[in-house]
Formats: sequence, C-alpha cells, structure tokens
Amino acid sequence: MSAPPLVPARMPVADVIRVGGHGLRSRPLRVFLSALGIAIGIAAMVGVMGISASSTHELDRRLSSFGTNLLTVTAEPESHLPTTAVSMIGALPAVDTVSAVGRTGARVYRNDHIPTERTGGIVVYAARTDLPTVVGARTVAGSWLTDAYTAYPAVVLGWTAARSLAVYETGPGQLVWLGGRWFTVVGILAPNDLLTDLDYGAFVGWPVAERELGFDGYPTTVYTRPQQSAVTGVQPLLGAAANPENPGEATVSRPSEVLKAQLETRRTLNALLLGLGAVALLVGGIGVANTMVISVLERRSEIGLRRSLGATRGQIRTQFLAEALLLSLLGGAGGVALGIGITAAFAATQGWAAVVPPWAMAGGMAATLLIGGLAGFYPAVRAARLPPTEALANP
Amino acid sequence: MTTPVVELSGVSKRYGDVLALDDADLRIERGELLAVVGPSGSGKSTLLHIMGTLDRPTTGTLHIDGYDVGALSDRELSVLRARAIGFVFQQFHLARGVPAIDIVADGLLYTGRSRAHRRQAAEQALHRVGLGHRMKHLPHQLSGGEQQRVAIARAVLGDPPLLMADEPTGALDSHSGETVMALLRDLNDAGTTIVVITHDRDIAASLPRQVRLKDGKIISGVRA
Ligand SMILES: Nc1ncnc2c1ncn2[C@@H]1O[C@H](COP(=O)(O)OP(=O)(O)OP(=O)(O)O)[C@@H](O)[C@H]1O
Ligand SMILES: [Mg+2]
Repeated sequence: MSAPPLVPARMPVADVIRVGGHGLRSRPLRVFLSALGIAIGIAAMVGVMGISASSTHELDRRLSSFGTNLLTVTAEPESHLPTTAVSMIGALPAVDTVSAVGRTGARVYRNDHIPTERTGGIVVYAARTDLPTVVGARTVAGSWLTDAYTAYPAVVLGWTAARSLAVYETGPGQLVWLGGRWFTVVGILAPNDLLTDLDYGAFVGWPVAERELGFDGYPTTVYTRPQQSAVTGVQPLLGAAANPENPGEATVSRPSEVLKAQLETRRTLNALLLGLGAVALLVGGIGVANTMVISVLERRSEIGLRRSLGATRGQIRTQFLAEALLLSLLGGAGGVALGIGITAAFAATQGWAAVVPPWAMAGGMAATLLIGGLAGFYPAVRAARLPPTEALANP
Repeated sequence: MTTPVVELSGVSKRYGDVLALDDADLRIERGELLAVVGPSGSGKSTLLHIMGTLDRPTTGTLHIDGYDVGALSDRELSVLRARAIGFVFQQFHLARGVPAIDIVADGLLYTGRSRAHRRQAAEQALHRVGLGHRMKHLPHQLSGGEQQRVAIARAVLGDPPLLMADEPTGALDSHSGETVMALLRDLNDAGTTIVVITHDRDIAASLPRQVRLKDGKIISGVRA
C-alpha cells in the first residue's frame, strides 16, 4: 500500500512547556498552595546552607584580618598575674610580640552626676602602648595611647563602651568621669571581632592608672602572638611562664579556636534544620503528587479530547510530567528566592555579608526537579493509560 | 475506484455481556455525508468510536483511509487520528479560559506544525466557520452554537479526510443546530467525508445517506 508510515511528530519543547503550563494556569490557587509546600522545604534548606556559608565566610574574614596565632593568658577573676608575666612570655622561643592589660577597680561615667551603680558594664584597664599591634586593634576616631599620653588622664574607649557612654568624638572637649576625675577621650576603637572583651574596655596608660586609680600594677591578661608554626608548641608553656608558682591559675586560650568552636555548635543546629527542610520538602512533594492525581481525575475529558486530536500515550504522559515539573520548579524557584531572602535577612542582623553558595541554589533546583519527576510520574502514567473512550465519557 | 475512507467488515464490539456492535459491515466513500441513527443504546457512539480508532473492535477488520487499523499500534493510531480524523462531540470539549483561536490551533498540536502555522490555520478555520469576529473570545463568552462551531473549526483544521460528529446538535436549540448542520454541509461540499450521529429525524432525513442501527446491528443503509 502506498500509505505513508505513521510516525508521531516530535513536539517542540516550547509546546511541551505551554501545554504543561496550561493545566497550571487554570487552577492558580491550588498551584500556589502546592508550590508553597515545595518552596518552604527548599527555602529552609537554601536558608540553612546560606546562613552556614555566610557564617563560614564571616569566620574566614575575621580570621584573615586577625590571624589565628593570637593567644591570651588570663588571670582568674579577682586575682592577677605576676609582673614578670610579660617578660617571661616574651622570653619564650618563637614569641615575638607580647602585650598586657591590667584590670583596675575604677569606674567610668559620662559625667559626675550619674549614680555610681550605673557603670554600663565598662571595665577600666591599664593598657600597654603596644597592645594594638599585638591584638590587631584599630581606632575609628582619634588614636591609641602613645607614650606621651600615658602619664596624663587620657583614655581610649572600646567600641561598645564609647557607644554606651555616648561618646562619638575624641579630643580636648570629650571628657568622661573616670575613677573620680575627668579623663579626655583620645581614641575610640573599632569593634574587635575576635576579642569582644576589648569592646567593653576603657584603656588608660599604665603610669596614670597607678598614680590616679589605685591600680596595683599587675597585669590580668597577657596577649601574645607566637610565630604561626609555633602556636601549638607555645600554647602549653604559657600558663607556667605567666605564673610559675601557680600555673593552673592562668587560663590560656586561643580566641580563633573559640570562634571556630562557636560556629561548630551552630553546625549541629544546621543539621537539624536541614533535616526539617528535607521533611518539608517531602511533604511538599506529596502535595504535588496529590495535586497531580486530582488534576488527572478532573481532566479526564481533556485527556480524551487530546487523544482524539492525535496525542500519543507518550505525549499525554509528557504533558502531565511537564506540569508536575513546572509546578515544583515554581515552588523551587520561589524557595530559592525565599532562602536567599532568609540568608540576607539573617546576615543583616548579624552584620555579616550574605553568601549563598551557587551549589546550594543548584542543589535546591535539582532536588525540586527530582521531586517533581517522582511526584508527577505515577499520575502521568495513569493519565496516559486512560482509554480515550473512557476519558471522553461524561464523569 | 478509490479506496473507501472507512471500511468495516464483520466488526463486533463486546462490553462484558453487552454486544454493543454486532457483525457490522459498512463502507463509506470519500466525500459522503451520512447520518447514523437509532434508538438510545443501539450502538451509535460505539460505532463512531471504532471508526474513529478511539476504541478497537472485539472482532472484525477495519480500514481507515487505506490503513488496516488492526495492524497498527496505539502510537500509530494516534498519528492516524492526528492526520486523518476530526471529532466533534456533543459537549464541545473546549478548554475553559482559553481564547477561541488557541483552542482551534490545538487541532494541529500533535501534527508537528509550528505554533505560528497552527495559529494562522486557526484564524482561517474560524473565518471558515463564520467566527472571524470571535477569535479572542473565551468559551463562556460564546453561545452554544458558536462553541460547537469552534469545536468544528478545531476538528477540520488539518483538513482531515474524515470528520466524525457525535450528536453535534444535541446540546443546541434548533436554530443553532441548523447553523451547525449548514456548516457541516459546506464542509462536505468542500470534500470532507462526514459522519453525523443524530437523534433528530429531520436532520437525518436531510442527509444523503442514513445508516440505521438497532441493538448493535446495522439494519439499513449498508450500501450507498
Ligand atoms: N464502556 C462500556 N462498558 C459497558 N457497556 C458499554 C460501554 N459503552 C457502551 N456500552 C453499552 O453498549 C451499548 C451501546 O452504547 P452506545 O453508547 O454505543 O449507544 P448509543 O447508540 O450511542 O446511545 P445514545 O443514543 O444514548 O448515545 C449500550 O447498551 C451501552 O450500555
Ligand atoms: Mg451515544
């Protein structure tokens, strides 16, 4: 027979998408709700990964500006280190820089009318002039204590201390009531991400502290930066070097490790949230499957009509699979956007830079496609198996 | 002599204990316009579904446009429907919220024609059924008769040799029904072979040939 072979025409992708999208457009509310399920799951996962990446980024940023070789030796509360601590630690091999502060009992106020109970949590320290070079502190206003200042009533305020005293400028007119007399604020420190204690400090010169504030001259915290390769070797020696008689009374710590540990604990929380996100995603996937099953049931006559227009079983299957994929992609895209928003909002509250790793977004979309495919598969197969006459019969 | 558009020989269709079609022989030549009549449950729709390859006979052979339907796969039958057979149903089957032009354009969706081509053909088809001024209208903005004409435009979009209509005027008032029948006659004059199931005696009587069914048997009209 001369009849040409009957080979189905390939449907262009644009048509597949249009036909798949048709079913979604006609039921916007249902589509929105089931896409929302997917969106919540994806948003949770992208948000968790974004927040985690942002905090790692923040950690890297802090560590790269402050280094990981800073060690601190701190006396127990209400006690102090011997005066020899600085020179003993400085004499250790591989230790280049050492500095110290000594806690004084003095208090600081905005002016002389404020009741003495209200100290605002500010601690007055006697500080060595080389402190900034060791701890990596910089001033946002004025300058650090120079040798010329140390004998005079001059003070440098930590970032938080300056704010709680409402001091925003430095210079001759900027006075605070410190230890029962006026001190001139000569500098304000930038926030210190690694040593947050310093943010709450008010720093005066060693000599003026001894003379005016009844300071005993003993250091309470020693800061040192051994060479990077020697950090782990030096760390165990510090306690004994600082306080040879009672090595146990000094607490040695490595602030960069403390910071890392803080972020580690957040990581276990992340795993939990990630699990919750996965559950939300699963529920979302079931929502999509449910929507698709109902859609197939409701659209029997449409399926019959399409078969009568010449759609093959495969083309019906493709249509419903495309619909499920579009539905979950819609949710996935919304979820990724929402996740980015969550990350940005959280990062903003923490003062971090928001970082959402591209692989998290790609992973979110891939998970979405997988879910859409799984959720749509069975309904699509059912739709394709429907005999045309049965589909056309009135329900 | 040319090959008939439809040729059934000894076709039966059984649903469980119901013999919906009993040993039917029928030959429809190119260009015919025929009515299928008979009481409710006599097997008219069954016959139309089988001739339209939407269902397969239990026994017997069927040729459509020269193809031996029994030898074709479901996939191949789909292609045959896309190319050679148009359907019009009593309930129109128009997608809600879709403009007439796009509904009609879907008549060629499974033929591999480009969207631009489909829409252009749809425009022509709508003009052909007298709805050139209703292109952008949605189904609910059209009268029943207009909706059925949209459905007919969709069915004849690819100029199929065979058009099947199952009670196309069943849901319409007599005036709209006449418009639809006039349209079918025009299409037939232009060369399309048309099979119309109808309960309307007047309509049936007005068509050149009537095939009468009773209890699944073709009782008259076997030969033209
Ligand atoms: N899918 C089916 N399963 C079982 N029986 C069926 C099925 N389809 C049709 N029948 C039976 O086959 C017979 C013929 O049905 P058909 O629909 O062809 O009648 P009809 O002539 O179109 O009737 P009407 O004028 O009411 O539309 C009826 O007895 C019907 O009950
Ligand atoms: Mg019927």
